[in-house]
Amino acid sequence: MTESLYTFKENLAKKGVFLCFNGPISHDLMVEMGDILKLKMQLQEESISTILKVFSLLIEQTQNIIFYSAETIPEPENTSNNIHLGIISVGYLNNSYFVQGGNKVKNNDVSRIEKSLSKLQKMSKEEIKQFYRTQRKLISPETSKGAGLGFIEVARKSSKPIEYHFKKIDDQFSFFSLKTTI
Amino acid sequence: MNNLVIEPTKYTPNIVFLFDEKVLEISGESYPENTAEFYSPVLKWLIEFLKIKESKTITVNIIIQYFNSSSSKIFMDIFDLLNEKSREGFDIIVNWNYLEADDNMLEYGEEFQEDVDYLKFNLVPRKSI
Repeated sequence: MTESLYTFKENLAKKGVFLCFNGPISHDLMVEMGDILKLKMQLQEESISTILKVFSLLIEQTQNIIFYSAETIPEPENTSNNIHLGIISVGYLNNSYFVQGGNKVKNNDVSRIEKSLSKLQKMSKEEIKQFYRTQRKLISPETSKGAGLGFIEVARKSSKPIEYHFKKIDDQFSFFSLKTTI
Repeated sequence: MNNLVIEPTKYTPNIVFLFDEKVLEISGESYPENTAEFYSPVLKWLIEFLKIKESKTITVNIIIQYFNSSSSKIFMDIFDLLNEKSREGFDIIVNWNYLEADDNMLEYGEEFQEDVDYLKFNLVPRKSI
């Protein structure tokens, strides 16, 4: 076990991942990860524009886990004090930053999520911007824990089309992964 | 009417709405844990304030470094309210302050500007926020 931890860390490094968290995620934890990400990038003299783009993707993708992960403690979700679990990572490879977030989703939610993501994946930057603005006017904030703009926001910020994957785990759950690039 | 002052945190902005001065300022960062809950007293105050005749001349200063997508929805709601009042004859100026080196916030400002037709919406570049 102690030996394989090094292998695990090296595997992350090979993939360019420099920040990674897996497990129960809280808002405070996200805020601290965001702070250390900004500090690291500032020390490496990245532009403020790039720093805020990567920071924004980290926040939106982590909030998505906190709001919507189907893996919770206690299980099943039954109080407002649930903890939501997921994995979030930030990396740098081939001159681009990337943010990857993943969490369990219920199998019967997969087609709905996939539909909205595949729509965003096919849109041009300009189409995404227009969609963002029309949705912002339409959505009522009461219907969603966020504003339902999260996926549109990450698709908009990502310099390449978003990448996503669903892996079926069992009869009830699938694992949803989302990757964005700056 | 009382002033509305909410102290900032790392992830929620400083709210300073001054009744006598008719100056409303939102500054800092905006990615609350529960955005609707955080902004609920802010919207309530604003709605009451806009009912008062003496509130006809208002300056709104937004000085934000980062806001998340759910805050963006709230800002749109605030600008819609102000835009409607401007249409009714109120004299309202919004100053959207953004970091000169950050194209993200300039772009968001430009989009809000395009989405309001009566409200005076200024884009104000700054060296620091």
